[in-house]
Amino acid sequence: MPEGLDRRISRPAGLALWVAVLLIVFAAAGLFFWSRMEPPLPSGQAAPQGAVLPPQAVRGDASVVVMLYYPARGGGLTADSLGVKRQFDAQSQAREALSALFGYQRAGQAAVIRDLRLRAFYLDPAGTAYVDLSPASEQRDVRGSAWEELMAIYAVVNTLTQNFEEIKEVRFLLDGREAQTLAGHIDASVFFSARPDLARQQ
Amino acid sequence: MRMSLPIGVFLAALLFAGGALRVDSQEKGLSVARVRHFSYPTFTRIVFEIETAAPYVLTRSGDGRSLVFAAYEGGLKAASPLPSINDGVVRTLELKQDDSKPYISIGLDEAAGDVKDFVLRSPDRIVLDVARGRAPEAPARPDASPSTVIVLDPGHGGKDAGIVTAQGQEKSRALEMALALRKLIKRKSPQLAVLLTREKDQTLALDERAAMVNAAGSSVFVCLHAAPGKDIRVFILEPDTEPAPRQTPAVQRDFLGFEAASEHQEALWGRQQAAHIAESGRLGRKIARLVTGTDNAEPIQAPLALLKAIDAPAVMVEIGMEQDRHKAMESLAKGIEQYARGIR
Repeated sequence: MPEGLDRRISRPAGLALWVAVLLIVFAAAGLFFWSRMEPPLPSGQAAPQGAVLPPQAVRGDASVVVMLYYPARGGGLTADSLGVKRQFDAQSQAREALSALFGYQRAGQAAVIRDLRLRAFYLDPAGTAYVDLSPASEQRDVRGSAWEELMAIYAVVNTLTQNFEEIKEVRFLLDGREAQTLAGHIDASVFFSARPDLARQQ
Repeated sequence: MRMSLPIGVFLAALLFAGGALRVDSQEKGLSVARVRHFSYPTFTRIVFEIETAAPYVLTRSGDGRSLVFAAYEGGLKAASPLPSINDGVVRTLELKQDDSKPYISIGLDEAAGDVKDFVLRSPDRIVLDVARGRAPEAPARPDASPSTVIVLDPGHGGKDAGIVTAQGQEKSRALEMALALRKLIKRKSPQLAVLLTREKDQTLALDERAAMVNAAGSSVFVCLHAAPGKDIRVFILEPDTEPAPRQTPAVQRDFLGFEAASEHQEALWGRQQAAHIAESGRLGRKIARLVTGTDNAEPIQAPLALLKAIDAPAVMVEIGMEQDRHKAMESLAKGIEQYARGIR
């Protein structure tokens, strides 16, 4: 045995060696479990009709997947899954999901939704979500048919109630105040709960 | 509020929960921003658009030929000139002064009957409906039923154009459809009274439309809208989770002991349709099946802001701008006529 190795390893150096070994073992285990995890749903992938998924943690816990409901071209609501930034409470997470809905290109093509933006969002302890909207442009009125207005409202209602079990009903405000309607037809002063029947029939 | 007493002083205490109309404002009195009027076959409506609101007093003269509209306390200001109506029911509105207290004198013609008043919010309005005492009689027919009144409401109008597509503006399309529908219904059933909430390009708030329909004693209400594309959709009001009002609650009285009719109406406002949900479903089903040509078509249930305040079986029909209008109106007329025949 060479003379150099025969010497006793000093106590601090031994500790460092153990720490290094432990780090390697944890890293290898982490890599193993990482490789076995389910891949997240790709953004924008259409989900089965009527599917209700809870917000899911995705790799790295940096985001969660939510179902965004929006008016389909042929009538009714359809839903896509989308990863949104993870938040640490239901109110913030729901606000994040709604921001994603209003920023989502497919939803933004629909009448009424395209004329509105999310101004504020609150969730009270009883499970009522308050969605405060405002016109996207001061120059343009919020326009749509009764059906389009109904679909826009339930796109928001279903996105909230189907993703967040804390949310039981939804109330709309326009520029921070109660409004009779958003686009002239549907009574916005009522409390809305989910309407799964509005999902597109295929 | 009935105004049948020779000299009646009625006080409508406008004590809105939202505080829109406050009594304790520093400057007491009423400020009227604008006065509008509408003449219908059965009544004349006067709408006072209110800037600064307060309780008001409405008095009918002993001979029944004039009304006095004044603030209960403080003065009354009118920002714009008052209109002359001269429609055979109401003659003129004049701002007058009595013991340094200004009031609006409303001159009535002989045909003027009962007067109803109520308040509407957003924006604040005081509405007076003066009934036409001698309403035109329906043409005499063996099966005539003058009590059957169909009210058609062309959606949007005036400042509110509705949707705008390559085929035109929704407000114009809705009016065209309503006029065509009235003609078709009258041709098939001349004994039915068919009224329109608007016959020209005019702005009407939803509450105003509903008040108009209810005041006309509507038996059937059909609201007409247009939509992009070719689809035809028939809507009825989504049944409320709250129980329907079974009976009219006891008349409330204000702090002076007068009937607070406005407050009473306010409490019921927006719940009138609850009593007609089943009939509206029947009407909606009949129309949906005829206009779509599908045997099992059902109306769509939705919380429609206008329909909730309609005190009659009511539907909203939305017809695609690319749809064959004439065919759709014929089916719609058939559905309305069949339904009306059933209620006679």
